Amino acid sequence: MSAPGGGGAYSFSLTTFSPSGKLVQIEHALAAVAGGTTSLGIKATNGIVLATEKKDTSALLDTTMIEKVATICPNIGFVYSGMGPDFRVLVAKARKIAQAYWKVYGEYPPTKVLVQEVAAVMQKATQSGGVRPYGISLLIAGWDAHRGQSLYQVDPSGSYWAWKASAIGKNMVNGKTFLEKRYNDDLSLEDAIHTALLTLKEGFEGQMTAETIEIGIVTVPTAEQQIAKSGERPPPTFRKLTEQEVRDYLSL
Amino acid sequence: MSIQEYNGGSVVAMVGKDCVAIACDLRLGNQATGIAMNFEKVFPVNDTLYYGLPGLATDVYTLREQLRFRVNMYRMKEEREITPETFTHLLSSTLYEKRFGPYFLEPVIAGIAPPTAANPNPQPYVSTLDSIGCITTPKDFAVAGTATDKLYGAAEGLWEPDLEPEDLFETISQTLLNAVDRDALSGWGAIVHVITKDKVITRTLRSRMD
Amino acid sequence: MALFAASAQQEAVAAPIQHRFDPYEDNGGTILSIAGADFSVIAGDTRQSQGYNIQTRYARKVWQLTDKVVLATNGFAADGANFVKKVKQRLEWYENAHQKQMSIKSIARMIQTMLYAKRFFPYYVYNILGGIEEDGTGAVYSFDPVGSYEREACRAAGAAQSLIQPFLDNQIYFRNQTFPADQPKPIPGNLPLGTVLGLVIDSFTSATERHIEVGDGLEMYVVMAKGRAVDDLTSKGALPEGVVVEELGPLGEGGGERTFLVRRTLKRD
Repeated sequence: MSAPGGGGAYSFSLTTFSPSGKLVQIEHALAAVAGGTTSLGIKATNGIVLATEKKDTSALLDTTMIEKVATICPNIGFVYSGMGPDFRVLVAKARKIAQAYWKVYGEYPPTKVLVQEVAAVMQKATQSGGVRPYGISLLIAGWDAHRGQSLYQVDPSGSYWAWKASAIGKNMVNGKTFLEKRYNDDLSLEDAIHTALLTLKEGFEGQMTAETIEIGIVTVPTAEQQIAKSGERPPPTFRKLTEQEVRDYLSL
Repeated sequence: MSIQEYNGGSVVAMVGKDCVAIACDLRLGNQATGIAMNFEKVFPVNDTLYYGLPGLATDVYTLREQLRFRVNMYRMKEEREITPETFTHLLSSTLYEKRFGPYFLEPVIAGIAPPTAANPNPQPYVSTLDSIGCITTPKDFAVAGTATDKLYGAAEGLWEPDLEPEDLFETISQTLLNAVDRDALSGWGAIVHVITKDKVITRTLRSRMD
Repeated sequence: MALFAASAQQEAVAAPIQHRFDPYEDNGGTILSIAGADFSVIAGDTRQSQGYNIQTRYARKVWQLTDKVVLATNGFAADGANFVKKVKQRLEWYENAHQKQMSIKSIARMIQTMLYAKRFFPYYVYNILGGIEEDGTGAVYSFDPVGSYEREACRAAGAAQSLIQPFLDNQIYFRNQTFPADQPKPIPGNLPLGTVLGLVIDSFTSATERHIEVGDGLEMYVVMAKGRAVDDLTSKGALPEGVVVEELGPLGEGGGERTFLVRRTLKRD
């Protein structure tokens, strides 16, 4: 008996390989990502920008309540393409992972460590019984004292890569081509934000406004900010831009 | 007699100018009876970070192995060496896991983090914890073990700011020797480690053996 | 309340109430004495406490007994005050009988006798006696509560004994110090007055820093041998900042020894 959708008998059991060596459910999850709204990230010399579009399906929707860029801990942020509910579950897990790390080491995790732990969570959903893979890809941007700013992509399979710039979602192919042309190694954060807006504008359906996009940035702390002061928290290195800030960037 | 004092022993650590020192006595006892005179209580984590575990000897072994495991896991996961500050927190949470059945130890930590791009000029660091992981980070010195009060008196009288490595060695040695000579449960020789940015000087001290 | 009363009653039936006479108290504080070649310093802090409570920030623990002997007491303040009173009475009888003040050696032996007389209901007091010996040298005698005593070059007693004594071992007895072959190890008890006062002040400031029962004020009695120059104590700039010197007149006819009281504040926290 074969299932609709083209995976044959192998498309039902998540943990069964097809004769060609594929886990078809993961392919389906990637299809869910490819159908999602576009998100992108660009690493600059002095920071990182994460950007995504918020699609408003109705004029009646209150877009201010949609959150697609999320702060995980003061030095790391997420953006996604794919299924919103799956994203919120992963954000909750990632925040818990970051706090657990803080409880043990008294500091927030380096980007790579958090990426590895989140990737492990996503991988587990490809090998366990009674679950389905997460229907999202993540772009993870963060700063840490060990590696500085770094940008990662994590896929439903649990694979992850470090990027200089990447795009995921509906316009992933066009976006990446655009970024390949625009990217260079001495891009400043300001330049990167503008490049992000230009990339997003390619293939944007409808009007691009402060209400229909979201931006998060990683900044590199100054030497003075990095000196630990007792009783004080270090200033955050990841933050979301306010609507007003986004509006200002759009008007430039 | 308290279980913390069952085997005896003391540790002291001091801050100097771009250096730190940590030292311990070598006695292992069974209450008033001396058992061994080669029982070191200070262990390296890496080239610039050492910690001392005065207290119940059986817990010294257990916690040392536990920490070796956790630091090795950290090293592999993070692809870097642990800093003294982070190690202190790791040790604190390790001790607090046993909040209601603690290790009978009072750890002391001394080290200088290796310079990094983000922190090009790391400062000498000394910290101490109680048996359930409460952290204290003194600017001058930390003491622990059965000679605690004697060490406090001697250190308070002998220590001064900004000592160079050789002067710091003399100060911590005199502090430890004179303190353990007045403590029946500590003594029987001593070991001193002076940690600078590029090397560690380790010396074994002879002391009175009564 | 009714519940409490009922349970109390049951307890009373289960075991008879025991009463115990416990007349002792520990009033904290620390004393210290160091002998020089021709002087002796006897010092004590002035805080008197009961548990975590400070009863007074000025209570004396050091007492001038004769023109060349000073006694420091530490432990249970009431016993200390009473013991000093009795010692002074015995000294007055001695002076009346012999027409001279008792020597430090004899006072030390008398104190042993007085302490041991109460072997089974002791004065809960650690005593340190300092002053000038018959031969003109500085002397320190220390006692336990039941009269065991010994002449030494220095001694600390009281709440911060464990903090101060190792420091003194190092600085007065030169313990764990090595000297070059051409320079013999110095004999303890021969340090100059300025050095000794410096060590006393350092000892008490250190003890104040780390012990809650030590602080408020410091009184250092300095007894000078007959004919000794006193400019290392009284001349301008001889002592550190914030130290006040006052000479105490002779108690009797005066034999040439001179006693000074050197005061200084200690931290009050």
